[in-house]
Amino acid sequence: MTRFRMSSSFDPVSGLLALQRELERVFDKPFGIDLGPSGRGVFPPVNVFADKDGYVMKLETPGVPPGDVHIEAEGRTLTVSGKREVAPPPGGSFHRRERGSGQFSRSFQLPADLDLSRADAAYKYGVLTIRVPKKEEAKPRQISVKAS
Amino acid sequence: MTNQELKIPEKREALDETTRAGRTYVPQVDIYETREGLWLWADMPGVDESSLNVHLDNGVLTIEGQVDLKDYQDVTPLYTEYYVGNYVRRFTLSNDVDSDRIVARMQNGVLSLEIPKAERAKPRRIAITQ
Repeated sequence: MTRFRMSSSFDPVSGLLALQRELERVFDKPFGIDLGPSGRGVFPPVNVFADKDGYVMKLETPGVPPGDVHIEAEGRTLTVSGKREVAPPPGGSFHRRERGSGQFSRSFQLPADLDLSRADAAYKYGVLTIRVPKKEEAKPRQISVKAS
Repeated sequence: MTNQELKIPEKREALDETTRAGRTYVPQVDIYETREGLWLWADMPGVDESSLNVHLDNGVLTIEGQVDLKDYQDVTPLYTEYYVGNYVRRFTLSNDVDSDRIVARMQNGVLSLEIPKAERAKPRRIAITQ
């Protein structure tokens, strides 16, 4: 599996292109992760990545203040829920209405080698990032060879 | 309204020819009008204030934003439901807006624009003289 790599002296333009190609390659093909009766159109959409420590899940939740997001872990199931409100000033009317509002809830069944008790979440620019590390025993380790 | 299940359409690719490599997407917008002006909200997740560009030229309002790629170092995608790309969308505005007083804000990945109407374009009551 190729790995998307960016160094500090990296050109952001070709970086975007490389990322887009990688995303396209795995588009909508679950890999060891059960997303339930999901698929397209469900809010919030999720991209799942692996890094050296475990899984990185990125959910696009624009317009949802971090205080309105609830993340719950139970066993191997991670549930993200919340609500998105569209609250225009009173006394007007919509010309276009493309952004949905309402409540959402999505559950993810994660592989058993991940440690949900050490998961953490961050919210930046409307993107929720949840990092779930691997259990210690699931991490690769060096095995030294003893000279006989 | 609050109990409906929230759905989101797949991102639509912007068809403009650009000189930049990579794909650009069309942000979803709400446009709302009050007596005082127009409001526009655009979903642009991944874009921070400093990489946002909003300009009005000859009545054409352009909103553009570049996504932040810093978080994508040394990761391998396993499963993807949405594309990541920059955003662009253009709207033609009437001449009745006060372009000097447009206010743009970016919060939680949503751009909001407040576009006041020019004084002459505001609805007014016309007195009837006897």
